[in-house]
Order: sequence, then structure tokens, then C-alpha cells
Amino acid sequence: MRRTILLGLVATCVAFSSPAFSKEQLVLAIGGEPEQGFDPLLGWGQYGSPLFQSTLLTRGRNLTPEAGLATTWTLSEDRLTWILTLRDDARFGDGTPLTAKDVAYTFNAAKQAGGRADLSALNKARAIDNTTVELSLNAPRITFIDQLMTLGIVPDANRENGYREGYGRQPLGSGPYRLVEWQEGEQLIVERNPYFHGPLPAFERLVFVFTGEQATLSAAHAGQLDLAAVPPALATNLPSDMQRIVMESVDNRGILFPMQPATGEQSASGAPIGNDVTADSAIRRAVNLALDRNTLVDVALNGFGRPAFGPADGLPWSLDDEAFTAPDSDRANALLDAAGWERRADGLRYKNDQPARFRLTYPASDTTRQLLAQVSAEMVRPLGIEMQPTGRHWDEIQREALHQDAIVFGFGSHSPQEVYYLFHSQHAGFGFYNSGYYSNATVDSHLEAAQAAVGAEEANRYWQAAQWDGNTGYGFRGDASWAWMVNLAHVYAANTCLDLGELGIAPHGHGWPITANLLEWRWTCD
Amino acid sequence: MSMIQPRIAAAGYISLLLIMLVVLLSSSWWAGHNASQMQFDARLMPPSTSHWLGTDALGRELWSRTLAGLRLSFWVGLSAALLGTLIALTLATLATLSTTLDALVSLLIDTLLSVPHLILLLLLAFALGGGTQAVIIAVALTHWPSLARILRAELFSLRHAPYVAISQALGKSRRFILVHHLLPHLIPQCIVGALLLFPHAILHEAALTFLGVGLDPTQPAIGVLLADAMRYLTGGFWWLGVFPGLGLLLMVLSIDRLAVQLRRAL
Amino acid sequence: MALDVRLINRLASRLIRLALVLLCVAIVTFGLVMLSPIDPVDAYLGPQMAQVSPEQRALIAERWGFDASPAVQFGHWLNQLLSGELGWSHIYNQPVSEVISQRFQRSFILLSSAWLMSLLVGFALGVIAGAKEGSLLDRLISGYAYVTASTPAFWLGMLAVLLFSVYLGWAPTCCAGPVGILNQDVSMLTRLHHLVLPMMTLALLGIATITLHTRARMIALMNSDIALHAFAQGASRSDIAWRHGLRHASLPALTLAFASLGELFGGSILIEQVFAYPGLGQATVEAGLRSDVPLLLGIALFTALFVSVGNLIADSLYPLIDPRMAQEQP
Repeated sequence: MRRTILLGLVATCVAFSSPAFSKEQLVLAIGGEPEQGFDPLLGWGQYGSPLFQSTLLTRGRNLTPEAGLATTWTLSEDRLTWILTLRDDARFGDGTPLTAKDVAYTFNAAKQAGGRADLSALNKARAIDNTTVELSLNAPRITFIDQLMTLGIVPDANRENGYREGYGRQPLGSGPYRLVEWQEGEQLIVERNPYFHGPLPAFERLVFVFTGEQATLSAAHAGQLDLAAVPPALATNLPSDMQRIVMESVDNRGILFPMQPATGEQSASGAPIGNDVTADSAIRRAVNLALDRNTLVDVALNGFGRPAFGPADGLPWSLDDEAFTAPDSDRANALLDAAGWERRADGLRYKNDQPARFRLTYPASDTTRQLLAQVSAEMVRPLGIEMQPTGRHWDEIQREALHQDAIVFGFGSHSPQEVYYLFHSQHAGFGFYNSGYYSNATVDSHLEAAQAAVGAEEANRYWQAAQWDGNTGYGFRGDASWAWMVNLAHVYAANTCLDLGELGIAPHGHGWPITANLLEWRWTCD
Repeated sequence: MSMIQPRIAAAGYISLLLIMLVVLLSSSWWAGHNASQMQFDARLMPPSTSHWLGTDALGRELWSRTLAGLRLSFWVGLSAALLGTLIALTLATLATLSTTLDALVSLLIDTLLSVPHLILLLLLAFALGGGTQAVIIAVALTHWPSLARILRAELFSLRHAPYVAISQALGKSRRFILVHHLLPHLIPQCIVGALLLFPHAILHEAALTFLGVGLDPTQPAIGVLLADAMRYLTGGFWWLGVFPGLGLLLMVLSIDRLAVQLRRAL
Repeated sequence: MALDVRLINRLASRLIRLALVLLCVAIVTFGLVMLSPIDPVDAYLGPQMAQVSPEQRALIAERWGFDASPAVQFGHWLNQLLSGELGWSHIYNQPVSEVISQRFQRSFILLSSAWLMSLLVGFALGVIAGAKEGSLLDRLISGYAYVTASTPAFWLGMLAVLLFSVYLGWAPTCCAGPVGILNQDVSMLTRLHHLVLPMMTLALLGIATITLHTRARMIALMNSDIALHAFAQGASRSDIAWRHGLRHASLPALTLAFASLGELFGGSILIEQVFAYPGLGQATVEAGLRSDVPLLLGIALFTALFVSVGNLIADSLYPLIDPRMAQEQP
């Protein structure tokens, strides 16, 4: 009798245990709630891996393109036409098949939408048949392949359940998960998409909570989270029953300087443009020279990072001799003296009665950026320059500070496309990219040449020339348009039972970079 | 004899509080430089003999920052209290000049009293754009109504006093009566009123700054210190939150007690 | 008969005054918001302002009447207000009326429980302290009340979080419910668990005021002729406290409780911020920080309504207190 019961129990246990699927729901607090909703045409997923939609191609671990929705892809000889063959088993979350028509619609609509960075290179997208798509470009563009890797495919507007206004709140896609409920500002609940064409994800449900830094840490300590993004400065006091996960990244932080003097001009949205102090290159160079980047890594990042001297340190489209000696206050002081910035009795430098004083704005809720701003202000002060660290909400920054304050910004991408957005004058004032209104005709021509290049090697030469070509460039030796500070690693606290597989290299933090290999995640406890 | 003893005790108490106040206010001399000095190798240290109240995330000594914050709160609170008292006195006086003015002033008082203090403060800070001046004005504008009510009641009851009637009979102008009879009588009320307003002003300024719409966050205001401490709360860095608040509590309590003692003496 | 008419008259005049005050509040808040440097179209659009073309901006300005004079704008806004249209909150992407009703529901539990608790506990402590004037108990209670009245509310909240959540782990550190669970699935018990700490902290400050006031009343009573009369008839101290004190001090305590609704709202703003409790107070701060003008105006008016009604009740109760005490003089 007892043996039967025992056997029965064991059998039940065996029947119900399946290690990878023993946990139904995962709770994540990794930030990144998109204001515009989950709409790829408005920018959702622009760093890759949009959860609800699939992309034509995916970025492999070594950053090269791999198959996604598309099984084959070719670029014509004249580099103007892409032909892609789609897989035939892709389905949207409502069971309907994904065809070339949807792909064509997505690309054409994205070009019009204007809420997303640049598809202006696209001329037209056309569905040749159900599984073949032709994308024709206006001019050769080497970074266009990034769009293939990041633009999520939405259903054609002309079909049932197709794309319409409000899509961002009820996104229908062919990705591994579909949306169940979204309480804005609070949480997002998603469940497995039963029609997903890829391998079955290990977790039936995912809950993303959009709590601020402090609430996230509280919830982690209370054992309510399985994965939590942690500001590096607080990464040493994690709850004892969680493991620390560090994901390497090309994410960086730096100070963006408004490049134009304040002439009273305003942007389209009414934000004032220009700053008389930062428009002076001597100031920008001096700030660059005053920053002790190693200390910044120590204090603001707790050591989880390394110094940064450009927007893409270590990547092939960036020069590797960009680093310079800093802090070097002698050189900085000499520069300022030579440019006419005189010290007065109050310790501050003045030029034509203009004090060397400007606001250094950062998003108030971000501890890392606050620390970076405060420490860098302190480092710059002995030079007689006063940077005023000012914390504001992003809304307020956009409304007022975006084009007239120095801002602690962050970028970092797997693609040189970002360099184009950051420094080409065509993108001046567009979204958050070239918000300093940087404009240099030579740099523009290098960037355009890079886009038109035949292969990556040639392109990289031009990307690097834009940084410094011996005469000018956006880097320190040229216009010193930014003061890059640090490259940071992303730190997470994770449940000890959560196995995140092999993590790649993350781009800039918005948009859940850690979910890039979501399909490999496993739960290792029973 | 029993009249003098409590007076001596009160005097002693008052002198103690005044001494503490002087020490606090002079601390910009003997502790001022420390408040913003960052020590990168001594970040987030708990209280010890070398770091009396501990250090914050940038290695700044908490004891000197707290003192600096208390000084700031003192001056901002005082300015707001004085400004508020002035406004209250002016409007209460205006109210006695005619019945229409009285009705208007009463309506204004009732209006301002129906909006919760903090919400009115938020609205004012929003309208004035934040910063030290805005905080002083906002706090003053929020607190004058209650004092004005009291002063107005006083003025109205004084108007019927016998010496006023005599003055009027002697043909003195209204302004003369106001300036020479009524206002001097109000001065003790004003002083007490200002003193009672003072602690509230300090607490409200700290609340505004804590919420992020008050004083400039580059200054070590108590509200700033506490708002910052919130970030590090779950990390167990308790000293960042406990000491600045404790300092504020002690200061407000002392001023409150001082006000009560003074009221008894006057 | 005559009493009823007088009462109705008084009530009517009070209500008229209430309406007048509310109108003034509307004018004042609208005026304040007009003063702010925010472009109303920006405030309306929120984060989308960067993507909207100048033509669209002009359209919005026209539709909402932003290009008219302030007086006209006020009239327009008042009109919309009276028909229930409070505007759109760009922070929460919902109509302002919805935001307020949703969030007020959550705040209401917090506010009402804290209010009740401060009334009951404050009253009890005040009676005890007053009845035993001069004793150790009295000194402890009044000492506690004085100290609490000088304490910054948000600091108290922080201490509570530090002690009860971070160190002892008895209560959650934040929010109205545990993360990751759908709103409707949260059990009442869990909700209460999340409510305890914020509620107690909020109540703590209200208790102090009511305690001190009740204590003063009790002391006055104990030294009054009524007490003397009762003593002469052989009643004990606690007898008097129980029978006369409760009756005489309860009404003033209730009146004070109604009059201090404003302070309660203010306190809840701070407490909700410290505990990340998603109620009306937190929404107010967000609206102020992120320039959500319609929401800020809506909340200001809503709370003013509440506080005015509270003041109205308090004002109506006052005459009940004094004539009663005057009547019972032998």
C-alpha cells in the first residue's frame, strides 16, 4: 500500500516537473517603457529585438546579419535593390499568415511616419509575390541593412486587424510574445504567442514592471522580481538571494554641447536653440581635458565600465587612437587663456563679460547620470568653468533644455548608422539625435561617402575620417562636439534560478537589450 | 516668588536655544568649506570618528552638509515668515478700511484656505518656476491667510476700544488712529504670529524641495539631502536619511518652543 | 419652527459662500497656471510636441482657444468644467476626470483610514492626557504630540520604511500592491498590508494636533464649574472625565478633524511620494513636475472642493459646541 502511494507520488512529480517549464511567469523590472507604445513605425525596437514583432533579419552574436523572417537576402550589384525571400510559416498573433504585403506596407508606412529615424533612403517597398519582397533605395546606403534587422513587421493596414491608429497599444505581430495587458506607467503583461514560428519560449508569461530605480530595488529585496536592472552605483548592495549579472555593452555616456550661439532662434517645437558659452570650442576642449574618466568610472559606475573618448569606442567605425591624456589642467588652462577667457576675482572665467557658466542637464530619475553630472562639474570647476548639474524630467528637457543646455546623453549602437544620426547636419534637432545642432560640411561629406561605400572596410575608413581626417572632425582633435565620459556595463540582479544563456553585447539601454536572447533563457530550479 | 521662578526657567531655556541658534548660523565660518568637498575614496561611509555622521555617494561629509542645509532652511523660512507676516498685516489693515475691502479680503482668505497648503504651494511653485525666491514667495503666500484672520479679528475688536472712541471724538484722522493706536497694539501679535509661522515655513520649504520643485538642487538643502537619501534607502545607507531629518526636527522644535515661551512672556 | 428656518437660512448662505469660494479657487488656480512659462500647446501635447508640425500646433491652439485672451480662455475652460470635461492628461494618456477618479479611489482608503485613526487615537490620548494633567503619562503624551507636530512628514515616512521594511521586513517598501500581479487579482489582505505603513505614518501627524487640542479642552473642563459641581456631588476624577469630558471634548475634536482635512491632503502627497503609493497625491507631484496643466488644475479644484466641504461641516459644528457649554452653566 505504502509503496503504491510512494510510486504514485513519484510519478506525479515526474509528470509535473519539466525543468525548463516549471516556472510559468517571469517578473522583470528593466525599465524602457516606450512613450509611443509598441509601434515599430514610431520607433519601438529601434535598437533591436522588438518583443511583439519579428524583423526580417536578426543580428547574430558577432553582430553580423542572420535569418529572421527572411530566409535569403540579396543586394543588387548597383547596391540599390534588396530582394528578400520570406519564410512561409510566420503568423501573426491572431493566426493569420505574414506575407510580403505586410513587409511592403511596413516599410512604406515607416518611411511616411516620421516618428522613426530615417527611412528616407528607401524609395519603395514592393511585394513581388507572397513570399518575396523588393526594397528599392534612392541611393546606395550601407547602413540600410540595420533597418532590416530592427524594423518590426506590422500587419498591412488593408487587412483585418491591420495597422491602424492606436496600434502601439494593441500591437499585433509575429514575435514570440503577444500583449495581454498594459497599465501605462505600471506594468505590462505579455504571453506566449502560440503561432510563433521559432522555438517555444521557456516562459508562458512575462510581466514587465515600470518602476523607478528605488521601487525596483525595494521590490528586488522583497523577492518580487526575477530580473531587475540596477544602477551600477548601487550594484554592491544586491539582495543576498539574487545573483549579479553584468552584460557588456557599447552603451556610453557623455556631455552633448550645443554648438550654436544663442541667437534667439527656436526649434519647431519652440525650444530655444544655442548656448553662447558652449559654442566656444575652447570651452568644449577644456571640459574634455578636465575630466578624469577613470575616477568617473569608479565613482559613478562603481567600476562597471571603462573610459570613453568617442561614441563608438572599440568598434570598427571608430578610430582607435582617439584617446588623449586627461586630466590635463595645464593644457586646459592654456587653451582657455589663449581663447580670451579671463579669470576674475570670483574664480570664474569671463569673456566679453559672459561668464563661463552653463547648465548641465540630466534626467532626474537616473542616479548614474546624476553622479556623472555632479562629479564632472566638480572636476571642471578649478578651471573657472561652472557647469550647473540640473535634474529634470525628460518631458521638461524636451520642452526647454534640449537645444540650449549641455546634456548628459547616452548612446551606443551596433551600427555606424548612429554616428550618421548624431553628426550629420540633416538630422540637426531631430528627436534626440543631433540636438546640439552640430554642422560641419566636411564631416557631412565623409558621412555621406561612408553610406555610399561599397563594402564595410571602405565605409569604416570614411566613418573614421568623420571623427578626425587630419584637419577636422567631430572628435576631440576636431570640433570636440561632445565630451565623452564613460562606456558602461549593464548590471542586473537576477534570481539565482534564472539562466540567461550567453549574453551578447548590449547597445544603449532603452528597449530591453537583455531580452535579445530571450529564447535561450531557462529556469534551472524545479 | 512663584512669578519669578518660571520666568527664570523660561529665560534660561530661551538663552539655551539662542546659543544653539547662534552656533548653527555661524557654522558657515567654521564648517562651511566642508559641505561640498567630495572625497572619492570615502564614499558612502557609515558614521564613525573620522566621518561624524557618515558620507554620501560622492564622499561629502554629512554633518557639514546637514548644517549647511539647516542654515539654508533657517534663512528661507525666516524670510518667508517675515514676508507672510507683512502681507497678513497689510491685508488685515486694508480690511478695516471699508466693508467692500473687508468682504474681498475675507473672500480671498477663505479661498486660499480651502486649497490644501501643499497643493497651493505646488501651484505657486509651478507658476513661479521654482528656485529660492519662488519658494519664499510661495510659502509666504500660503501662510498669510491664517495670520491675517487673527490680525483682522484683533483689529476689529480694537476698533471698539474706549481710547479709540476718545481719539475719534478728539477729531483725529483715521490714519492717525490706525498708526498710533491700533498698529502698535498689533506688534506683539505680529511677532508671535511670525514666530509661529516660522516652523511651518521651514517644514513646507523642506517638503517642496523634497518633491523637487523647491530650492535649487545644487545646494545642500535638507529637502535635497533627503530626496537623495531616498535613492539609497534600500541599500541600507540609513545615515543619509536619518540625520538631516533629525537636524530639521530639532531646529523646528527649538524654534517652536522659543515661540511658545515668547508668547507666554509677551 | 423659527429654529428650522434660521438653520436653513444659515445653511443656504454657507452653501452660497462655498460656491463663491470655489469660483475664486478656479480663478486663482487658472491665473497661476497662466502665469507659468509653459506654452499651453506644449503642455497639452506632452512628449509628442517634437513630432507635431506647426500647422497642427495652430489647429490645437485654435480648438482649445489658446490664442484668445486669458479672460476668454477662462470662460471657455469654466464652461467645459461645468459640463464635466476636465481635459486630457498627457502623462497618463487618459481624460483628467478618469485619472482623478481612479487615483482618488486609492487615496481615499489611505486618507479615510488615516483620518479615522487620527481622530480616534488623538481623542483618546487627549482625554487621557487632559484627565491626568501633570502626570508622567500626560508629559509623555504631550511631549510626543509636540515633537510630532514639528516633524517633517516625509522624513517620518522614510524612517518608517527604513525600520519596518528595510530592516525588519514586516511591511512592503512601496506601492499599493505587489508588482507583477494584475490589479483585480490583488487580495484585500495584501492591499491592507501595503496600506498599513503609509496609513500609520499619515495618521501619526494628525494624531498630534487632535491630541493637543483635546487635552486643552479636557484641562479646561477639569478646572471648570461643571467639574466642581460634579466633584461636590462625590464624583471621581475618572467619572468626570468619562461622563462629561467625552461629551464636551468630542465635538471639538470632530470639528478639528474636519477642519484639518487640508493638512491631511498635504500630508498624503508627501507620504504617497515616499511610499510610491499611486494615489492622487503622487499624481499631483507628477503633474507639477511634468507640466500636465489640465491634471494639475483638476486636482487643485477637486481637493479644494473636499476641503471646503470639510470646512463647511466644521463651521456648522462650531455653534453647536459653544451654546451647549454655555447652556449647561448652572
